[in-house]
Amino acid sequence: MRTRNGARLAGEHMVNDSRLRVVVVGGGTAGWMTAAALTKLLPSRCHVHLVESEAIGIVGVGEATLPHIRGFNEKLGIDEADFMASTRATFKLGIEFRDWARVGDSYIHPFGTFGTGQGELDFHHYWNRARQEGQPVAPIDDFSMAVTMAYLNRFAIPNPDPSTIESTFNYAYQFDATLFAPYLRRLAEQMGAVRTEGRIVDVELDNETGNVAAVRLESGERIEGDLFVDCSGFVSLIMGNALGEPFEEWTKWLPCDRAVAVPCQTRTALSPYTSAIAMPAGWRWRIPLQHRTGNGYVYSSAFTTDEDARAALVGVVEGEPIAEPRVLKFKAGRRSRSWVRNCIAVGLSSGFLEPLESTSIYLIQAAITGLVELFPEREISPVDRDEFNRLIDAEYDWIRDFLILHYHATERSDTPFWDYVRTMSVPDSLEEKMELFRRRGRIVKHREGLFLDASWVAVYIGQRVLPEGHDPRADLPPLPALMQNIEDLHAQIRSSAERMPDHRSHIERYCPMMDAA
Amino acid sequence: MTLDRSISKVVVAGGGLAGWSTAAALKRRIPMLAIEIVSSPPPADSIVDRVISTLPSIMDFHADIGLTEADTIVRAQSGLRAGTLLDGWAAGRPAYVHAYGNYGHAIDGTPFHQQWLRARKAGEVEPFDRFSPAAELGRAARVAGTDSAVAPEIGYGLHLTLERYLQLMRAYALHLGVTERPAEISGVELRGEVGFVDKLLLSDGQAIRADLFVDCTGPSAKIRSQLGGEFIGWHRWLPCDRLLFATSAPEGDAQLLDRVSATAWGWQWRASSPASGSIGASYSSAHAGRGEVIATLPPSLEFAEIPLRQGRWAQPWIGNCVPIGDAAVAIEPLEWTNLHLVHSHVDRLVSMMCGSDFAPVELFEYNRQSGAEADRIRDFACLHYIAARRPEPFWKEASSIEPPESLVHSVSLFAERGRLPYYEEETFTRDSWLAVLLGQGLEPRRTDPLADIVPMGEATQSIAKYRDAVKTFVDSQPGYQQSFSSLGQHA
Repeated sequence: MRTRNGARLAGEHMVNDSRLRVVVVGGGTAGWMTAAALTKLLPSRCHVHLVESEAIGIVGVGEATLPHIRGFNEKLGIDEADFMASTRATFKLGIEFRDWARVGDSYIHPFGTFGTGQGELDFHHYWNRARQEGQPVAPIDDFSMAVTMAYLNRFAIPNPDPSTIESTFNYAYQFDATLFAPYLRRLAEQMGAVRTEGRIVDVELDNETGNVAAVRLESGERIEGDLFVDCSGFVSLIMGNALGEPFEEWTKWLPCDRAVAVPCQTRTALSPYTSAIAMPAGWRWRIPLQHRTGNGYVYSSAFTTDEDARAALVGVVEGEPIAEPRVLKFKAGRRSRSWVRNCIAVGLSSGFLEPLESTSIYLIQAAITGLVELFPEREISPVDRDEFNRLIDAEYDWIRDFLILHYHATERSDTPFWDYVRTMSVPDSLEEKMELFRRRGRIVKHREGLFLDASWVAVYIGQRVLPEGHDPRADLPPLPALMQNIEDLHAQIRSSAERMPDHRSHIERYCPMMDAA
Repeated sequence: MTLDRSISKVVVAGGGLAGWSTAAALKRRIPMLAIEIVSSPPPADSIVDRVISTLPSIMDFHADIGLTEADTIVRAQSGLRAGTLLDGWAAGRPAYVHAYGNYGHAIDGTPFHQQWLRARKAGEVEPFDRFSPAAELGRAARVAGTDSAVAPEIGYGLHLTLERYLQLMRAYALHLGVTERPAEISGVELRGEVGFVDKLLLSDGQAIRADLFVDCTGPSAKIRSQLGGEFIGWHRWLPCDRLLFATSAPEGDAQLLDRVSATAWGWQWRASSPASGSIGASYSSAHAGRGEVIATLPPSLEFAEIPLRQGRWAQPWIGNCVPIGDAAVAIEPLEWTNLHLVHSHVDRLVSMMCGSDFAPVELFEYNRQSGAEADRIRDFACLHYIAARRPEPFWKEASSIEPPESLVHSVSLFAERGRLPYYEEETFTRDSWLAVLLGQGLEPRRTDPLADIVPMGEATQSIAKYRDAVKTFVDSQPGYQQSFSSLGQHA
């Protein structure tokens, strides 16, 4: 690495106020989300200068999102209908998993609770008791408002009154990620973010402090900054390459390391959910947007070849492919730290977890929230930096266990891949969580952050990790009364969902895409 | 594979407040359990049986087990408490109130304390606790009779009249179907397998067996201590090792706020409700003799002294024995957490009730949560010491120790920019932490940049407006005595 010797080029971005010069490296989803958030939320603390090269494509992670993105958009003052129309977005009520525990199985991990969430115990305890007593009881899916709506292709905005059954679900979006970054770019540039086009060829470190001093572009231009946000994607230009922060690899638990993606025409009704369908050496996603359906096969190169994966995917997509299949390579894991010296890695440069639970954009958002809340002064405090790294680690670790659960909790041994994940050893933290659920349906407590109790319940039960017992308090209601309540709830959810508008017609009224390209 | 059989018989050991509260709650919430209580009188070193001040969580406990305010306040002759007035903790600073409820209100989505800190840097602003409606009500001896947007979250704890409250809890437990065995525990026999209690030997010559033994015998943990394992001592962080207690007759007007004053060798308290009063001290025997401490307390009272070894079991629940309250966590009553811990432990036991295998994975999760909870309560108590500024040797030592790691984390984040971390199993709210941090004069190096979104003039205006609203609200509420007697009439 070069050091800051010789002639100091006066960057066009030099300023003489006290605001920090933030250089965002990379203009994909992570880069523009960061630029938009910083310009909007900390206008008095920073200038944002984003460097991107149009020659480098964006990965466009996360066509499917989690409900948290609504909070992000709200903070940025984004109008939902405008955003959805611009990104050709659809609504998302959860993720459907097909063929995971056994071929032929399917369940939805919903955004929302099972039952009303109002009783002394969570609904699944009562459901469990009924099942264990041999009562005819519908699958747990049928007691989720979100799942019921999803299977009926219905959508409505949740009711804010918590006493109603229509308040028990939440939603996110499925959108064209290649349109989200440009959408945020307009916003960020309006608020004062500066953009420079160019390929970065060098990262200069200060030889005294070891901090990043500047990035140099192919054109010779040199951009100095006080703080560098690495949004360069898998290449991890600053965090990985220049600063050499080690990468902790989780391939032994999450063996998928490739994906082949191809969009196609939509042939079916517009589903308000994403699908994750098990494949011989991994799984494939199906994400319905307004104008097309995104597809991709996430696989392990140890268990299949690129050619076979591509053929397998093209063979099963529902409509005419509308682009050439594209292969991505990755490794599951994360950098040991995401904030090192004066560089913060946001997005793929900080780590990668496969898109099975649509966490990519969530992780970007978590890093941005951490950066905004812990935004430094010129002199970076180790307290802020350590806290940021602690928060990001906790997010990664929690999601990691949740993802591994999907693979490990399977009965499949029909392909070498599924046999491997079924029999592999998993982190102790996950082993304990599964065992606790298996006994009496209890969930390890986690009150803040991602994937709360209902998410774990959905995946455990969906993947046939069924409790052998139940909480003793579930025995309190007399059985006939309990069964009556369960049936009433089922009917209530069903009739409420049936009264809701069709997903496509809701979108056509609310946020139709602007040009039918 | 089939699951282990359910637990059917539970013995609760100890006939003090912890024991009777535990027995009543278990029976009420899991009625299929057969609950027998060995109701030996509370041991001399029981803390929970001597502390009259409780946290607002007691109200939830009562609601969960089906007790009404007519029972718990009127019939049991309890008083209300809004918080604690802490004085003398930081030399040269005014006394401050830690009350239960909001301190200020968010200003344009930013935390109140950040705006308050900004306003302070810019000029004069009233002390932080003046923006707590609960603290102001407490100071004015008024009780919120109406809901208000100014004070959305006020919580009241109770001042117990101990013997009345114990009678109530006993009568209620018996009414629910708890069976009483009035005897002393004379011995504990273990099973062959490690970590299991076989039976308790009783003073009446009988022995008593159960699936699960719940140890409510106070800090000595008569049963749990037989099973071994590590007890984590907190002496280096919480240096007081003696408690003095006296019950005083009600004197003067009842107070909504307890007074907790730092002294040369620890601290002392005074609490007074319409029906009873409590005076006592917590001190370090290495820094003062009993006589010296007693000399600072009212001469007419009889003080009981108990030794205190603060700390907790590393793994409270082992095999078929789970300790509750003081038997699991021994801590001085600085923030009145003793009975709160009884309630919290019982609630967790109900939520995590296992089967007759006592599967390690189920106990592990119970112990993980309980340990995390106890450690954060320890941190909150320890905060009072490390944030203290007094000249005496006791305080010099206490404020110079290296705090537990999790407390260092909280305090250093706060010191940097007024941020507080989130912990699972936290007992005290962010506003409680802020009340003590800011009350004792700890201030962050800088404020949160996000707070700058609100223009300074707007912030000071909003702060002043809120202060006025608190005043108006407090002035319009009825006096404590007056509202208390009307409560008596309604019940």
